[in-house]
Amino acid sequence: MIETGSAAAPGVRTIEIEARLDRLAEVRAFVRSSCAELGADDDCVVDLVQAVDEAATNIVTHGYAGRVGPIQVALAPSADGIRVVIRDRARAFDPTTIGEPDLQSARLRPGGMGVHLIRAATDSMTHDDRPGGGNVLTLMRTLGRREEED
Amino acid sequence: MALDIAIEQAGGDTAVIALTGELDASNFTTLIEAGRTLHADGTRRIVLDLAGLSFLASSGLVALHSLIRILRGEAPPDPEEGWGAIHSLEFDVSGGGTQNEVVLVAPQAAVDRVLERTGLKRLFRVHADRSAALADV
Repeated sequence: MIETGSAAAPGVRTIEIEARLDRLAEVRAFVRSSCAELGADDDCVVDLVQAVDEAATNIVTHGYAGRVGPIQVALAPSADGIRVVIRDRARAFDPTTIGEPDLQSARLRPGGMGVHLIRAATDSMTHDDRPGGGNVLTLMRTLGRREEED
Repeated sequence: MALDIAIEQAGGDTAVIALTGELDASNFTTLIEAGRTLHADGTRRIVLDLAGLSFLASSGLVALHSLIRILRGEAPPDPEEGWGAIHSLEFDVSGGGTQNEVVLVAPQAAVDRVLERTGLKRLFRVHADRSAALADV
């Protein structure tokens, strides 16, 4: 289910899916189209598609861990970019507590790169417990190419 | 967008796998299974054509790593054992060089960004087109 802006929340675009891996493509398509509507350039779109996919994957695999529940993704314009809020009713899972991988290590770990990719693709990631149970993950991304990659 | 996996034999013990679509947590095991089948049939080198791949999730990195392990006759991670097993995987790059089992072709910018950001790109030789990759395996 996709909703677009209302009088109470102008410019907000929202999708809610059942937490299943086979719904991830739908979420990515929603993020792409919403970012385009909000004026994001290709770099920003690519980054937010990646970040939301990794976050939603973590909710399905770690949060709900096989159980059924909702994932809601909302994109909205912010002062200098796009704010993404991802809500679920899964068990508490705070990705901001996951440490960064050592990319210079002699032993690469291809698994568990999801949170690292979220950090690399966004300017900030914050987690809050959701009233009534679940998680609220907020991602911020400025428009355009990020400075650290220039 | 779904993932399409097209396989062509390239002579000797080499096969070309062309990926089209999006490689994510819902379908990465299909690429691992394709690798298992090819290895069982004698394939020891894979040219992985990424020109048609528009999205690569972190789970797709596990599939790429698994292809290398499979071609070396090592056991890939078993997704049935859960994500803890996948997260514990390691790849020794202390030798500093790339591996020889899997060569990449023409990753799109979004896919290349993922390989760069995760450090996985140092595992692979990357070529602009398939013929150059086939000459390198």
